[in-house]
Amino acid sequence: MVNIILNGLPVKVEEGTTILEAARFYGSPIPTLCHMEGLSPYGACRLCVVEIGEGENTRLVTSCTHPVEENLKVRTASQKVLKARKMIIELLLASCPQSKTIQDIASAHNVRQQRFRQEYEDCILCGLCVRMCEEQMMAKAIGFQGRGEHRRIGTPFNVKSEECRLCGACMYICPACQLRCTYTEPEKAICGGCANLSPPCIEKEEFHDMMCYMDPCVACEIQKK
Amino acid sequence: MKALPTIAEFVHFRRRVMSEKKILHKKPTLVISAGTCGQASGSNDIMRIIKRYIIERNLREKISLKITGCQGFCEMNPFIVVEPGNHLYPKLHIKDVPKVIESAIGDFVDEELIYKDPKDDQIYHSKEDIPFFKMQTRTVLGSNQKIDPIRILDYVEQGGYAALEKVLLKNDTEWIISEVKKSGLRGRGGAGFPTGKKWELARAAESRDGQKYIVCNADEGDPGAYMDRGLLEGNPHSIIEGMLIAGIAIGASKGFIYVRSEYPLAIKHALIAIRQARELGLLGIHILGSNYDFNVNIIRGAGAFVCGEETALIKSIEGFRGEPRQRPPYPIEKGIYGSPTCINNVETLANISVIINQGAKEYIKVGIPGNTGTKIFSLVGKIRNTGLVEVPLGIKISQVVYDIGGGAPGNAKIKAVQTGGPSGGCIPARLFDLSIDYESLSEAGSIMGSGGMIIMDENTCMVDVAKYFMNFLKEESCGKCFTCRKGTQRMYEILDDISAGRGTMEHLTLLEELAHTVKETSMCGLGQSAANPVLSTLRYFRNEYERHIKEKKCDAHVCTELAGVPCQSACPVGTEAWRYVAHIARGEYEEAYSVIREANPFPSVCARVCDHPCEDKCRAGTSGGSPISIRALKRFITDRMDPSTYKPLKERKKGKISQIAIVGAGPAGLTSAHYLSLKGYKISIFESECEPGGMLYCAIPPYRLPRETIKNEIGSILDENINIKLNTTLGIDFSIDDLFNQGFKAVLLAMGSHKSKPLHIENEDVQGVYPSIEYLKAFNLRNQNFAKGKVGVIGGGNSAIDAARTAIRQKEVDSVTIYYRRTRNEMPAFEEEIEAAAQEGIKIQTLISPKRIITEKGKLSGLEFLQNELGELDESGRKKPVPVAGSEHIINLDTLIVAISEDSGKDCMSAAQSANVLTTDYNTIRADKLTLATNRPGVFAAGDVVTGPNTVIEAIAAGKKAAIMIDRYIRGEDMLKETLPYKPTIYIEPVEMDHEEVQEARRIETPRAPSEWRCRNFAEVEVSLSLEEARKEAQRCLRCDLEFTKPAVQEIEVKDVEKVEVAEESTHG
Repeated sequence: MVNIILNGLPVKVEEGTTILEAARFYGSPIPTLCHMEGLSPYGACRLCVVEIGEGENTRLVTSCTHPVEENLKVRTASQKVLKARKMIIELLLASCPQSKTIQDIASAHNVRQQRFRQEYEDCILCGLCVRMCEEQMMAKAIGFQGRGEHRRIGTPFNVKSEECRLCGACMYICPACQLRCTYTEPEKAICGGCANLSPPCIEKEEFHDMMCYMDPCVACEIQKK
Repeated sequence: MKALPTIAEFVHFRRRVMSEKKILHKKPTLVISAGTCGQASGSNDIMRIIKRYIIERNLREKISLKITGCQGFCEMNPFIVVEPGNHLYPKLHIKDVPKVIESAIGDFVDEELIYKDPKDDQIYHSKEDIPFFKMQTRTVLGSNQKIDPIRILDYVEQGGYAALEKVLLKNDTEWIISEVKKSGLRGRGGAGFPTGKKWELARAAESRDGQKYIVCNADEGDPGAYMDRGLLEGNPHSIIEGMLIAGIAIGASKGFIYVRSEYPLAIKHALIAIRQARELGLLGIHILGSNYDFNVNIIRGAGAFVCGEETALIKSIEGFRGEPRQRPPYPIEKGIYGSPTCINNVETLANISVIINQGAKEYIKVGIPGNTGTKIFSLVGKIRNTGLVEVPLGIKISQVVYDIGGGAPGNAKIKAVQTGGPSGGCIPARLFDLSIDYESLSEAGSIMGSGGMIIMDENTCMVDVAKYFMNFLKEESCGKCFTCRKGTQRMYEILDDISAGRGTMEHLTLLEELAHTVKETSMCGLGQSAANPVLSTLRYFRNEYERHIKEKKCDAHVCTELAGVPCQSACPVGTEAWRYVAHIARGEYEEAYSVIREANPFPSVCARVCDHPCEDKCRAGTSGGSPISIRALKRFITDRMDPSTYKPLKERKKGKISQIAIVGAGPAGLTSAHYLSLKGYKISIFESECEPGGMLYCAIPPYRLPRETIKNEIGSILDENINIKLNTTLGIDFSIDDLFNQGFKAVLLAMGSHKSKPLHIENEDVQGVYPSIEYLKAFNLRNQNFAKGKVGVIGGGNSAIDAARTAIRQKEVDSVTIYYRRTRNEMPAFEEEIEAAAQEGIKIQTLISPKRIITEKGKLSGLEFLQNELGELDESGRKKPVPVAGSEHIINLDTLIVAISEDSGKDCMSAAQSANVLTTDYNTIRADKLTLATNRPGVFAAGDVVTGPNTVIEAIAAGKKAAIMIDRYIRGEDMLKETLPYKPTIYIEPVEMDHEEVQEARRIETPRAPSEWRCRNFAEVEVSLSLEEARKEAQRCLRCDLEFTKPAVQEIEVKDVEKVEVAEESTHG
């Protein structure tokens, strides 16, 4: 067992656990976006940052990837953490305002507006789908491509992957995916695609083979008829 | 070459090679620097010519040729160093090569081709004496000159592999580590982690499979940094030797050199070196018969910047995406394939053999405690001597920039230095006394980084610099961390908004908050330092950001959206210089004149005395060439036109005509009167002198500005709306309150600065000592002359030069000397004025300050001076003059003219104060920068009375602005309307030039009358350009305006049919 000080409380945790696991075990909430039990920690969204160290030498680390160390001092909701977290949420909202997951996190942190130029992206590159595909579905059909602003998720050479079994796990796990609720009017928080009976999954040919996580989906049912 | 089986044989081999060196090198050698930089400048051609010359003339016995890697002096490429003697022949043309060969054979120096300092043309025969080399400590780089990188024997000859020999003979790995630890060597890749400690940890680390790795990190990706390339290209064996020793020390048997594919020459040389070392038995199993195995492989990186980060580099070597991972575990515990891996920078490894050979005790003598040894920097940007420099750590930035780098290449002052590449920051010129070490640099908000030093001058916009680096980083971030990927994109977006004039102050707060978040929450070094370019420019150059946001101005004229065309936006009155230059090129002189006159009521005056900020910012000049002679072209046009022919359209406003009073008939007052008159106001000008024109008439001497020109120009400005009252002084003949009582609706104070400041030393009021303005006024207005005999002028500004040049034209004057406290480079007077004064025989003594006036019978007889030397840097980044104790000396003088500076004088200020107008401590009137309004409603102030002594064009600009503001005030409008940046709207077709004309195009300097003739009369010195000269000069213009304008496009038929079809289809779908 390792002794750490969590938000001022001395606690014992098992060796090899991450700060996130420890904090959650002892009831200190930490928001996450790219973390999911059963998938290896990745540290892409930076939402789970916590402050470690003491005095002048504190720094922010992602709790999902940082292992606990003896006598580590952790603060999960310090001023520094909250300030950084709010800015990250603002950045997320500026990119993917339509995601219900992100909206919920924003509202939980009292972030009501963002100050950047509004974009409507359908991916925040959290990598959940990539890990899901590789680690749980054992398919490795999709992965990251490019770097910097050109980074995206896709299949090798952007051709239909033979490894893909169309299981739909990638879509199921996605917190920001356009297939969920954006339709063609991303400004609207809820797209109403299903109600319009012309959701993108049906309209766009490339998605014909994909499975929707909404089961049963009203639109699909009607289409079948 | 045969492999050497034992250490003993290697010792013998080394001895033999080193002793033969003296016999081999008897004949003169031409050493040619042919690194990537040299080859790009044409060293390959020079090499071919030399070889051919030697073969054709059969000179093999007499001379030899050596090809080396980069020797550091990249500015002078392609160059040849002739050994022995080390004569350096820079920037060689092919045609000059035979001369160099002959001089080398004949053992003489070709004075014409030998290196001359571009600053002062001083000749240096030996390379070692050149300041660029002399001030450096070239422990690592120095051997580049001696070594042909593809010959292992060259390296051995220079004592190469001696350190390996020592290590193998000692056979004590603990000793290597302790020696490196004692040397205090810190990682040269930028972070500065102690190398000895890293090795110790790597040695102690346990490996599951028994394998450990050494990696030489040559993934040099910073823009502007190339020292690793220089080392790997020029001396690859020193890196291999460093890796070998590191491998032995930590127990690694495999090494990788991770180098980017963009460095083909470095890869080639490293591959050859590895092969040679293997052949000699220095690499492989059982090195020289010892128990150590070591092999080196080269891994070519695909050029992702992030792969310089150690965990990303390891992933890349393993064959995965170059993406950093969370540390701990550190690479020394878990690196390549999970085995302990020690990653060192190229330069760190190059230092290892030095440490082992010299011993740590000797090594720590260089540098400062905690920062020992030397560091190589690549000095690039706006600097005279571009190249690789190696200096001891702890040296001052100013020494590197000014002493070694030679300062700025042009007239523009150096503003800042950017160190550490995209992860580093900018350090402003006023901090150039900072010591270059890991701690000081990071305290100043930058980092040592791998050693790039980008010098920036006034023509660099700091917002643009931050934007450039952010653009680089948003492409080069690996993209894993959301904050780094999106943060750099968003920072770029905000910076782009600011540079395009769309920025707000809220943007600035957001930018700073975001920068801190990116810094704190990113995982790897790239993200953590990505905000540095923004944070450091915000820290030191916040005013530039604010100027972009609030005033929509980019002073460096880089941000096109704000600056428009540099010449136009640099002009305080916004003259469309590009437009009249274009008209001149087309021979349309009348159009050219009306363009000039539209913006400036004093075109002929400005054509002679303007300090032409347009030329300073001209892109033809700031991009490395020489600017267009815009002022000479203006002169050409104004000489051909009579000012009275120009008839502006008057836009009289309906409503009651108001009366406005203007105090002072100088350029500011007259300009204001002119533009107010055009708006229909009735203006009364009150002037205290007997002639209108202000400083134009009473201070600027007739040889620069003929009296006729001023009179003509003023005559054309005055009209029925303007009434001038001469010999009427504010404070004596009338007060500001009187003016309001007389019914004037607004008052503009434009009295100028007509009082010379005193020296504040004893006896300043004796006969023979004159304030410069008094002296010039006496001559210009009343034709009196006070100067005689030996004349001294104190000061370095324009009024000092005017006084000196007026004095030398007097019959009773024998000689004139200007005394200035700093050096000539720092004199505030216009360069061409200083030059003209020197041509006329005026002596200039610098670094000298007056201490005491010596009198004889109540008259001046001499002056005691103190010698100065340059000390520390002051706020402006210039070195302060410090008096040298005991350097007092007396110079005999008959006349002394004091021209240190001017202000508006106490009388002027008390007149303002009595009317409740606020003034400053510097005897100027306090007026709002943007509206020119004083604290009292209806009272405005413009020109020198607000700014202190300034240029004519600034006064005209202030007068023009005052007219707009007074008009708005009287009509009750908001005075603070946003002004939009000037942008060209009119397209003028450029004149085509043929190839020959382009080749021949050179700047035409304003012709001057011969100095022998002119210095005894007051005729005008500058002469107008000829028709042909003017046309050629105007054609040289780069026409920056074409970026904004387009020729009227002929209507192209749109294929409507197709469109309709497409539309139909989509509706069907």
